[in-house]
Amino acid sequence: MSIYAVNKVCYRVVHEPELRRDLTDVPEQALRAATPALSEEELQALLAGDVGLLSRLGANHFLLHQLGRFRLLGLDLPTYAERIRAAYRPD
Amino acid sequence: MAEIVGGVGVPHTPHFPGIVDREEPLGSQLRRLYGAAARHLRDLAPDVLIFFTCDHYNIFFVESVPIFSIGVAPSAPGPSDYRELQAYLVPIASDLARHLQVAAVRGGFDVVMSQEFDFDHPVTVPLHFLTPEMDVPIVPVFINGLIPPLPSAARCHALGARIREALTGMPGSVRVAAVASGSFSLEIGGPRLSATSHTGIPDPDWASRVLDLMRAGDVGRLVAEATEERLTHAGNAAGELLTWIAMLGVVGDGPAVFLEAQPEFGHAFGCWLAGGRRGPG
Repeated sequence: MSIYAVNKVCYRVVHEPELRRDLTDVPEQALRAATPALSEEELQALLAGDVGLLSRLGANHFLLHQLGRFRLLGLDLPTYAERIRAAYRPD
Repeated sequence: MAEIVGGVGVPHTPHFPGIVDREEPLGSQLRRLYGAAARHLRDLAPDVLIFFTCDHYNIFFVESVPIFSIGVAPSAPGPSDYRELQAYLVPIASDLARHLQVAAVRGGFDVVMSQEFDFDHPVTVPLHFLTPEMDVPIVPVFINGLIPPLPSAARCHALGARIREALTGMPGSVRVAAVASGSFSLEIGGPRLSATSHTGIPDPDWASRVLDLMRAGDVGRLVAEATEERLTHAGNAAGELLTWIAMLGVVGDGPAVFLEAQPEFGHAFGCWLAGGRRGPG
């Protein structure tokens, strides 16, 4: 599946308070209901708040950071930023 | 015919209204800078604003991503993306918007029309400071400055010039100013964020170069240097510069009469008079 599915979830987060509520209360159920469908790798990365991996998979950063802004999937903006930094930190 | 009277360019950082309202340390500087642009606009006494903006994935992301669009609705609410900000119903000069969309298409620009939408913060934050009474209708011109592929700077400047041509060829008497909204170097959420934030200024040298060229009125050089590669290097929101370049296409090339940067944010506040006039004195 295209990374578009991840981007669309992040887009919907901004505009759908009910999705934000579901991602807080029943995150896996909410993500499995997303259309278009997320790949299993994308879904597990979202559940883990692994924005570093999602970034590496090509997710749009402007949209991805909305997960931190709305404090979803274990993220807030400082955690989001640190995970993105870690994903690109030279070894 | 319509008279082009001038233009302004400002940032739209969504935290700025709150910083001013709470009188935080940065607030007085923001009040002064937005105040300078607002005063310039008031002195120009425009009947309508041609407002160049980049949708931030809020209007166009799902159905389609137009390179250029003109909003032709009678009005639109906003902001859709920051509900904590003050809500406005922004009046749109819809007849003029439709006229300009037709003129653009007939002039060779494939500009689509948007008939129903909510504005996002890149429109409402500038208007919050510039025309908070919402007493000057706008013609919103959406430029795809965030989702590659971006239109070329030359194409954006030419679109502005086409809009100017269409305005000056119109019957009737209306005073028109142009507004640009956005940054010159800005990364949001991407790998080039700063050490302390989820945003960053990846290319302050480019932001400084943009300012130098605007200060000198060398819009031709600015257009030539603002390649997609350069904009991409300057951050994932640096394509917002295209709104400034289109605004200058409307206003006419010439030096800014006011230009002041906030280098720590990669953006600036600028004012222009039409046709490159340098102002009193």
